[in-house]
Amino acid sequence: MFGAGVKGLSDNVALINELNVFPVPDGDTGINLYHTLRRAWQEIATIDEDAVCVVAERFAYGALMGARGNSGTIMSQLLTGFADGLAEAPVLTAPLLIDACQSAVARAYAAVSEPVEGTILTVAREARDSLSAEMSLDGMLASLVDAARTSLNNTPNLLRLLKDAGVVDAGGMGLLCFLQGIERQHCTDSPDIHLSAVSEIKRPLLPSPAAEVYGYDVQFLMMGELMDVDSVREEMERLGWSVIVVGDSSAIKVHVHVDNPALPLDYAVKAGAALTDVVIENMQLQAVDFAMRQEQLAYDIGVPAISVIAVVEGEGMQGIFRDLNCASIIAGGAGENPSTEDFVGAIERAQAQSIIILPNHKDVVQAAEQAAKLQTDKRVRVVPTRTMLQGISAMVAFGDASDKNLGFDAMVAVMEAACASVTTIQITRATRSARLNGLDIRRNDFIALIDGEIRVVGTDIDSALRDSLLLTGINDKELVTLYCGADFDITSASELIESLLMTIKGIEFEVVYGGQALYPLLVSIE
Amino acid sequence: MISKSIRIAADSVCDLPAELVDLLGVHIIPTYVNIGGESIADDGRQLNRARFYRELPTMESQPTTAAPSPGDAAAFYREILAAGADEIISIHVPEKLSATLNAMRLGAEAVDRNRITLVDSLQLAFGMGLQVWAAAELAMRGADRDSILAAIESVRRHTRVYAIIESMEYLRRSGRVNALAASLGGMLRIKPVINVADGEVTSIGRLRTWARAERRLRELTREQAPLDRLAILHVANRSGAERFLASIQDIAPSDTLVIETTPTIGTHIGPGSIGVATLSSNWRQ
Repeated sequence: MFGAGVKGLSDNVALINELNVFPVPDGDTGINLYHTLRRAWQEIATIDEDAVCVVAERFAYGALMGARGNSGTIMSQLLTGFADGLAEAPVLTAPLLIDACQSAVARAYAAVSEPVEGTILTVAREARDSLSAEMSLDGMLASLVDAARTSLNNTPNLLRLLKDAGVVDAGGMGLLCFLQGIERQHCTDSPDIHLSAVSEIKRPLLPSPAAEVYGYDVQFLMMGELMDVDSVREEMERLGWSVIVVGDSSAIKVHVHVDNPALPLDYAVKAGAALTDVVIENMQLQAVDFAMRQEQLAYDIGVPAISVIAVVEGEGMQGIFRDLNCASIIAGGAGENPSTEDFVGAIERAQAQSIIILPNHKDVVQAAEQAAKLQTDKRVRVVPTRTMLQGISAMVAFGDASDKNLGFDAMVAVMEAACASVTTIQITRATRSARLNGLDIRRNDFIALIDGEIRVVGTDIDSALRDSLLLTGINDKELVTLYCGADFDITSASELIESLLMTIKGIEFEVVYGGQALYPLLVSIE
Repeated sequence: MISKSIRIAADSVCDLPAELVDLLGVHIIPTYVNIGGESIADDGRQLNRARFYRELPTMESQPTTAAPSPGDAAAFYREILAAGADEIISIHVPEKLSATLNAMRLGAEAVDRNRITLVDSLQLAFGMGLQVWAAAELAMRGADRDSILAAIESVRRHTRVYAIIESMEYLRRSGRVNALAASLGGMLRIKPVINVADGEVTSIGRLRTWARAERRLRELTREQAPLDRLAILHVANRSGAERFLASIQDIAPSDTLVIETTPTIGTHIGPGSIGVATLSSNWRQ
């Protein structure tokens, strides 16, 4: 009976991990519960003993020894309380089950210094509350599962964090899986399941908005005759991941994550089953939705004291500024200079009362300063950054200074100083032939501006970059960052670095996508 | 009257080197690292720290960390009391960050709650270790419970723990201290300087290059001088830690330690990171 419960849980480790957001969103609730119950199972796997009180006591002892994490600890307390409630009884009866569940819940609540509702505790308590003396033992087991499921579905209403993340409680889910396993095995009266070791449990990495391939979440119910649950599960595991397949020969519930949602449906239809309750969800969209809710949540925490408004051109660059906690971005740059009015609007919309503007272009500084003068009810200062790379240095300093809780004037001062601490190279193509700063430039040559001045000319981008790096004197520098323009791909930049590393040693290179127009490469040296 | 025998206990997050553990007669209960389907105790035997960190970057799935079980805790306390201790003072990783204290409390209740005093160190790594060290020295000299607890409190107030995180990758993957990870962004390789205090990890600086971050760490360390004790902590970066120590040699006490920090922390901050745990001299006042 307990073995089936453990199986119920171990089949769902990955799913439970994914639900884990409280109290620490580290996605390990499933694996922790699994370790806890696997240890418990080992304790009873080999004993030759039928008395339920002894088995429960050994199982609880194992759980206690193997408890991992918060949920595992609470589970071990539930099991210990359960065993206590059975006292000396050799056989499980309906009245005994009520006592044992009472004792289990009391023990679990007592084990937590500040019980939080909307967790495994709530699920356990409400499952217990569903029991009544007139029920049969079978009826009680079914009632525990039903009430646990209802309670679990209600956890987001009790715990804000769950609702915001769009999940139910992971530990509660673990308890439900455990109870379900027990109930399924008891009611079908099948022999106790042999628990095979879960050899490989991959912990899903937390969704990172950039890299993850999300695919589709597909769920359906197969109705038919003489269906084989195991072969359906095998096929689903071949097709996708996060597979849950449960049921019997006449009805099978399937849950699977796949890249192509047509494949599992196609399989089910070809297997001769009638499909109902088909749900297909695009997890990419769900993840975006999740990220947006997270962002909303971040704003709910409070109004920032100081907001930065920056003028940024290129989607990659805009992403970098946002990533560095720039509150508002005005799209624009060379040839598309924002107006004073654009700045006034952004200042009015900003949440903070103190505002710093980064114009990031020499032709934009004036409009920004104009807007700053017009404002009366908010404090506005312009840090006159002349390039986006100076702006990025200022943003890094902003993050650093925010950590130190610097005041407004000090903040502006460190951001201004940061602009001076970085050398910038802008590489572009000459639009016409000319002689400038003693350099002969032909149309389509690559020219490099070092801190705004044309200093280097070359027929290819490699030599323009190498010569300008050497000219800036990089011996005492540590880091060169290449921001790739819209028409210069990252692979070419990485190849460029490999060839540079032949002649330039002891310095770190970093390549990021900037997406800016006009300049295939913007380079900062610090 | 013969004074009571008090023993000091702690979890393996405290980073106390094996020689000091033996010398001071401290009892250490291991925390666990889960790798794939395996749960491995950080007890210096099951888990080889150097090898773990060597393999961490190429592991298929991110390892997770876990507290000892209440059953482990009860067995642990039972053994210490059976060996003749009258009382135990048990110092642990912050309750805000770990389930360890809860497990230890349940273990203590199963054994003898009245003879076991639990302490939330509100610190991590050797920041905890400094409290354990001071407590164990007093216990060896026969100090009573109240004066040991007072010393722990004073050590805590005069301890600083700072670290430079080499790569944000691991913090993001781990999911612990999520708010911190989220605020630090990740498109550029920023080197955050973190502070551990009051059971929380916060960012106190973000620098674009390692050398700048190290300069910041040096300034922060120097602010704490004169030092009674110092440990340089690292994750798979002994040479970096030793170079850093050389740069602050003038304020380093002669018994300064260089410690490869526990996987319970290293898993979250990743290889390459270095840090310090300082104890200012005025803690004894």
